[in-house]
This record gives sequence, C-alpha cells and structure tokens, in this order.
Amino acid sequence: MIIVIGAGPAGLAAAEAASRNGSEVALFDSASRMGGQYWRHRAAVSGYRSNRADEIFAKVSSAQSITHISEANIWSAEREGGLIRVNYLQGGIESSLTAEKVIIATGAYDRTLPFPGWDTPGSMTPGAAQSLLKGQGVLAGKRIIIAGTGPFLLPVATGLAEAGADIVALIDANSPLRWSLSPLALLTNIAKFSELMYYARLIRKYRIRPQFRRAVTAYEDGVATISAINSRFHIKPGKSQTMRADVVAVGWGFVPDLSLGGILGCAQRVDSDGTVIFEVDENQMSSQPHIWIAGEATGIGGADLSLVEGEIAGLAASGQTIEKALLRKRVRKQRFADALKRTYPVRDGWREWITSDTTICRCEEVKSQEIKDSVSDLGAEDSRTSKLFTRAGMGLCQGRMCSRNVSEIVSGITQCAVTDGERIAASNRPIAAPISLGQLSDGKNSR
Amino acid sequence: MKNPDAIVIGAGIVGASSALSLTNAGLKVLVIDRGAVSSGTTGAGEGNILVSDKDPGPELALALHSRNLWFEMQDDVGDSFELEAKGGVVVARRDDGPLMKLASEQSQHGVMIEKCNQSRLHELEPYLHPDISSGVFYPQDAQCQPMLAAAHVIRTVVQRGGEFISQAKVTRINVENGAVTGIETTRGTFNAPIIVNATGTWAGELAELAGSHLPIAPRKGFILVTEPTKKYIFHKVYDSDYVANVASSDADLQTSTVVEGTRSGTILIGASRERVGFDGAMNYEILRTLAAQATSLFPVLRDVQLLRAYRGFRPYAPDHLPVIGQDAKVKGLWHSAGHEGAGIGLAPGSAALITDAILGRDSFMDAAAFSPARFGRVKS
Repeated sequence: MIIVIGAGPAGLAAAEAASRNGSEVALFDSASRMGGQYWRHRAAVSGYRSNRADEIFAKVSSAQSITHISEANIWSAEREGGLIRVNYLQGGIESSLTAEKVIIATGAYDRTLPFPGWDTPGSMTPGAAQSLLKGQGVLAGKRIIIAGTGPFLLPVATGLAEAGADIVALIDANSPLRWSLSPLALLTNIAKFSELMYYARLIRKYRIRPQFRRAVTAYEDGVATISAINSRFHIKPGKSQTMRADVVAVGWGFVPDLSLGGILGCAQRVDSDGTVIFEVDENQMSSQPHIWIAGEATGIGGADLSLVEGEIAGLAASGQTIEKALLRKRVRKQRFADALKRTYPVRDGWREWITSDTTICRCEEVKSQEIKDSVSDLGAEDSRTSKLFTRAGMGLCQGRMCSRNVSEIVSGITQCAVTDGERIAASNRPIAAPISLGQLSDGKNSR
Repeated sequence: MKNPDAIVIGAGIVGASSALSLTNAGLKVLVIDRGAVSSGTTGAGEGNILVSDKDPGPELALALHSRNLWFEMQDDVGDSFELEAKGGVVVARRDDGPLMKLASEQSQHGVMIEKCNQSRLHELEPYLHPDISSGVFYPQDAQCQPMLAAAHVIRTVVQRGGEFISQAKVTRINVENGAVTGIETTRGTFNAPIIVNATGTWAGELAELAGSHLPIAPRKGFILVTEPTKKYIFHKVYDSDYVANVASSDADLQTSTVVEGTRSGTILIGASRERVGFDGAMNYEILRTLAAQATSLFPVLRDVQLLRAYRGFRPYAPDHLPVIGQDAKVKGLWHSAGHEGAGIGLAPGSAALITDAILGRDSFMDAAAFSPARFGRVKS
C-alpha cells in the first residue's frame, strides 16, 4: 500500500504512475474533488488553460487500485514499526491508515506581504479570488485589481475577466525583461510560448493593460494606491496613483506546506528564493526511508514540474523503472522553474510599505510597531522570540501567513540576515490540521 | 562592559531575576546567553507560580517567599508580564484522603487553603465535570507570562547600568587558584570574580567547563495549546496526581492534567514528565493522554480545537530540589539552576538567596538544603 497525500497535479501524477503496476494507492485530499488548488475545476470556468487535467482525472478515476479518500484532513503522522501511520479527520471522526510507503504532495499556498489595508474587506490573495470562482462560481467583485508578482497572475486575471469581472489593472512588481536572464530555460521550454500566447490573446480581448514594476502599496476604503517601485521594491517618490477597486487580489508567489513531512523528520533546506523546501534525491525520495515528496514542497515550480516529479515519485515508490527521458524532462522543467525564481523575485523593499499600525499577524492582530518594539525594547532577535513577546504567529493559522514576514521585519531592524535555521524552524508545526480535544481523546480510547 | 562585578550566564527567568537582584544590590552585571532572551526552558513554560504542589519543606518555604517577591518584582519592573494571582484548584477524583492530608500540612506552613465540597468546587469552576466532588482551593497560586517577564526584567537591568549580550556561547571558564576569573565566549572574553550559572537544564555542562560537576538532567514535558475560547476555566486546575508525579523519580512517562486559561483566550494543557534526555520528538500518544485527562476534567473542552503543542526540558536534580549556592569546588562560581518545573515560581526567591549568599548577608531562609555541595565534592 502506498499513501499519496494531496490530489493536486503532483499527487495525481504520483497515484496514476504508482497504479500502473497494480500497486494499491490511497489518495488523500482535504477537498471533495480531485485537482488541488491549481485544478480546482468547475466545468463552467473558461479563460483558463489546463487541458492536461481532464486526462489525468480520467486515468485516476478509472484506476482500480486507487482509492480516493476525499475531505480528509491529515493532522499527524507517525512511524509504527516499519510502517507509517497517518491520522486523519473525516466527517468529524478521527481514523488512521497504515502503509509501507508514503508520497507527500501537499502543494503550496499563496504568499502574502502586508501593506496598509491588506487586512480590510476586498483585499485577498489571487488564489482566494480564483477558488471563489472555480470552487463556488462566485465573482469576488466587479472592479478587480490583480497584483503581486509571477505568471500565476495571468490565469487569475483572464479567468476572472471571462467570468465577467472588470480587471482594472494587472500589475507585476517585476519587469518581464528579466526573462532575458534565462535564455536557455526559454529555449528548452518552447511549449510555454503557446501558453503565453493563449493568455496574451485573452488579455487583448478584455483590454487588460499589464503594468510592470509597480505594486499595490495601500488599499483603503475601496481605493488602491499603486506605486512605481525599483528593482529592490523601494517606492519611487512622486510616482504613485490611486484607483478605485472592489477587490485587490495580491499574491507574491507561493509557500509550500511542510507540516507532514516535517513531522516525519524529512530533511529540509532553504531554496534560492528563501523558501523552505524538502531535500529529495533524483527519485524524489526524502531523507527518510519509504517517504517520497513531489511538487511544490520540493521547490516552487508550477504544475508542469509537479506532474513530472509526481510521476517519478509514483514510479519509484512502486518499484517501477524510471525512463531516462522522464528524468531529462524534469531537468528541463526544473530549469524553467529556476528561471521563474530569477524572473519574479520578492525583494525586501516591501518593508517600507508598511506603517506602524499595519497589521502583520492577522490571527492575533499584531501590529508592525509591536514587532519593532519586541526587537528594540525586549531583545527579540528572530521570529520565534518576537512571537513569544507579541503572539505574532500564535493564532489559528499558526504563522503560516506571517512568520516569514515577521522574520524579515525583525531582520530589517537587527540588520542580521534571517538564518536558514530560523526559516526551517518557522516552517514546521507538530499539528498539521486542527483537531478537537474530544477527537484526540477518542483516538486514545480506540487504540 | 569593561570589568563587570558579576556575570550571569543564562537569560531565562532565573538568570534575569538574579541579574536584577544583583543590580539592585549595587553590582554592575553582565548577562550573557548563547541564544536570545527566554530561548531555553523559560520559553517553553506555562508561567506557573505555585505553592499548592509543594510538600512542606525547604522548597515550599522558598516558593512562598518567592511568590511574594514576584509581586515586588512587578512593582519594581512594571506591570508588563501578565502577573495574576488567579489561584489554583486541585481536585481529587478518587480518594481525597491524601490531598486533604497534604493541604492540612501545607496550611501549618503558611499556605492558604480552602477545602471545597462539591458546590463550592463548582462555584469556583462551573464547567468542571459534575462527578468531581472534592478539592482544595489555593488562592496564592499565581501565573505570569514568563518570556515577557524575563525580557522586561533584563531590560530593567540594562536600564540600570547592566548589559546583555546574546548569541554568546561560553567556550571556557577561566579558573585560577581555585577561583573563577572570567569566561571566554563566542563573542569575546569577559572577566569578573563572580559568575552565576543560571543555565537551567544545561547547568551541568557549564559546571564541567569550570572543572566541576552538577548532576542536572532534562525531564521532557509537552504542553497543548487550544484555539481561543469563551472563558471556561477560571483558575489553574489540576489533578491531585500531579503532586505525586512532580516528586517522582520514575523515568517512565507520567501525565497528570494541569488545565488553565490564558489572557489571550487559549487554554493550556500540561503536563507530561519523561526522562528521555534531549530527545525532542513529538509523541502523539502523550498528546492523546493529556487531551483525554483534560476533557475528563472539563467535558466542555471536547469541542475545542487543538492548535499546537510544544515541548520543553525541565532541569532536575536527583533529589528534585533546586541547586542554589557556591560551587563545591570552584570559588566565585555560583549556581542557581535545577528548578525543574518550578523555575518560574522560584526565580525571584532563588535570586534573593544567591544575592544574599554572594554578598554574605543573612537571608530569609537557610539555603543549606539547596547547596551544590550536597552532591559531594568531585575529585580533581
């Protein structure tokens, strides 16, 4: 038995590949439908190019040896003898499943940066705007600004435009000219051009005018401030404008969810863009025996790379041969992923956008000034000590949203770079999903 | 700082209060820590300031005085660390004989107690399981936010002329003719004739650096933290088994529930005790046991979500008493460590004892029971 955790592109590819030789697969996901965040489909959504999804959905659905365990939240995992047990909640009841092997494909969530007004109604992440549309068929607003950085902003903008939204601005903090830093990645991933042309056509159709080297630096009472920024994200004086919008959807790339692999002791490292990811070998195997990891948790790289990594992990875990061509394909996709990181960096000039009363931790309502005071008055030197003094990161999301930003703010004051150790410590949590004390105690009685 | 009068090693609550007490006595104090403020056991504690869990004896005498010193320290430093005399409620689930006997003995040694019948118990804690019918209320039990306390106390030390250097790991303790002369750290060499070892669970390692010995070992504990809830728990509530476990030397896992609410609305649930060295691994069976015990005390907690769990390492000595006093072998090396799970509560009292001992003054109690010499001198 192989447990695959996550039914996004990487997990689906892993499950499908592992099932080819008849291996029994239990495919876990917290959503009711397969697809993960990226393929969170409703049939009616268009303006969104992902034709590979249908093919893999069909294969996974028809495979006899794959059991899809949906709406299941895995809150912990443990070694038990030579096996691995995952403990999960489904319909309010805790159950567990044991297997010889596990493939972790838990994906990533939107990275956010604070700015004045980012915690007010109307401000959200592009992922949230998209999942409202794809998951529930709801348009987040009429006049929408899409901002942040990265190619993911394009499908969000065109998807919302197709659904009837007025995309009043599509703003990337980086310049597309940065692609010239990575000519090899472009030449070896020619197929990406047709995807780009697809979105370019839609952008022309809906008269969306992309803007570059700008950012939404404030949003108050339905008015967004759009500032010109330099390559370090510092605001250029005198070049700000304001624009009315019902929604500002701002995203700064993605942060992988490392909780489960961390609980199982899988080794981690800090990627070139500051993201904490898992170490894996050429077969996607983690530092821990019988655990493979694929997709965003081994480095942010998008669905194409996730599909290849998932396939390799699935084949490796089920003991099948991995063709050289598949490994070469991963090298090519990896090169493109590296180019994405080079083209769309998030620079630390954003720390100047916040004011003393900008909320940094939304769960515990901790303001920027409190973080600063914890450093200058109380001697906090990293996100952990700042958390102990201010409660930033102690709330419902357990710092998933703010701990990286707290680290950067503290580092800006102490003038000491954030250490890899701090980044890794702040990315790990012993409880992967909330569980009630009653469910937890019933688990004891049933054992 | 050039030539401090004393160097305190360790910026947890024990080191911080020692530094404050020495500063207030007129000494120039340098505090150093290998990490940041509160980065050891202080940063993993609940902030217990308890008299209820102590048997009559020297530790109870220290706890009673220390508890009052906490409020004096608040007057001195400012109301900045959520100090609250919330009171403790100890319940007996089965035979209440041992608890009632302990309470009677404690009351003869200055502990305020109120033996509670069912209706009084449920008046104090309305959400307590209806079957629990006997307990003792200890109004002196208190709580603080220990990380904030250590930070504010060290800030006060610095304001009064002291200095704090973080991220400085001690690599050597210089000893000449049987007396300390200073320390070497990863951030420089510092000389002083008085060194206070307040490194808690790591105090044994530090003693070794001076060529001495302290038998202090870690005792691991887990704490569960829930989502913020409506106020269900009004005091520090625990099971009378807890007292037995605190005093136990058994290496096996022991758990007995301590449940309390915090100002932020979260509920803290402790406390397991395990002697497994510095193995930090999460143990989900312990979390289940703690959750089962807490929900059996307070059934209303069944629907409350667990958000996180953390662990820490209590520093304990073989006889479960703190180690406070001059090293048995090295002059000028003073230890204040090994407070086990009671370090927050005992910190200001221990600071007063160590300061009095260093200055050769009379103190509020005889500290012989805490002397490092009780473990025997090590051969050189």
